[in-house]
Amino acid sequence: MELSPYAQGGWRLLADPCRFARRPYSALLRAAFRSLLDHSHDGLDDPDLKDIDPTVLKHCHAAAAMCILEAGKHKADISAISTCLEDCKLDKERIEQFCTEYQHRELLTVVSFSIGRSPLHVTDVSWRLEYQIKNNQLHKTYQPSYLVTLNIENSDSGSHPDVSFSCTMEQLQDLVGKLKDAAKSLERATQM
Amino acid sequence: KLNIDVDTIQHGVEGLSYLLTESSKLMISEIDFQESVQVLGFSDELNQLLLQLYLDNRKEIRSILSELAPKLPSYHSLEWRLDVQLASRSLRQQIKPAVTLKLHLNQNEDQTAQVLQTDPSTLLHLIQQLEQALGEMKTNHCRRIVRNMK
Repeated sequence: MELSPYAQGGWRLLADPCRFARRPYSALLRAAFRSLLDHSHDGLDDPDLKDIDPTVLKHCHAAAAMCILEAGKHKADISAISTCLEDCKLDKERIEQFCTEYQHRELLTVVSFSIGRSPLHVTDVSWRLEYQIKNNQLHKTYQPSYLVTLNIENSDSGSHPDVSFSCTMEQLQDLVGKLKDAAKSLERATQM
Repeated sequence: KLNIDVDTIQHGVEGLSYLLTESSKLMISEIDFQESVQVLGFSDELNQLLLQLYLDNRKEIRSILSELAPKLPSYHSLEWRLDVQLASRSLRQQIKPAVTLKLHLNQNEDQTAQVLQTDPSTLLHLIQQLEQALGEMKTNHCRRIVRNMK
């Protein structure tokens, strides 16, 4: 696990007890974790941080966040993280503080970092069965028809217009058959 | 060659196509057709010919008419592929199974293909829901309606 020079610079600032006493250090760690995992923005408003120069605060917050992300990305263990932070001249106590906080939230870390681009994702399906009787072009049609809507989520923007299509009973059987083939081969793959 | 002027032929063709289209659209019985045609005052031989023409072409005319009805994109076929995501820019060492689907739809003679993805549990949920949908046609309620409509 490696940190960029910028991140290392930020950590060296965090290692300095003159710049960051115990309480501000803890407050900054909390803020970094919260901003990544809890989606809240009030981290840096912590009263313990009010005496720190804003530029330094931003640099250190970014450095802490980068360290959390890198650790999560590589599933780094405690020794790897410790080695990395030791290189930035962080003392044992501060390293331990970070590691404890990280371990406490590690499962969340791994889950929330599986982000990235992917094709449109199907989340649900709705269907409607109708029996057609007539239309203005053709009377006495008398056939069942299904309307299927696939609910779609876009990993980028969150929502996407649903995909809707109509099909006959035979076509729906074809669709279900193919989905079942996929499920069967998935089951076989997991048993390997 | 027929020695008749263009207008008459045009009216003749239009009249004939209207007769056949309307009859096919309404799916009228032989008797009803014969009764309707008798009003025109043609010979019996001609009436028989018209009836035969109607019966022979009815199915095809109906399938052409069915193309004119308002429609949503309709299902054509589905392709699928099993993937396992091993790593991404933001996370290494993953084992994330996914099913990639390519849904082919027809809309007014255009074929579109849409690539979608889903996870194993959603796939099983989709199968369960759609099997329920298929089962509906076999219920007493639907069977009763189908019987009574015809």
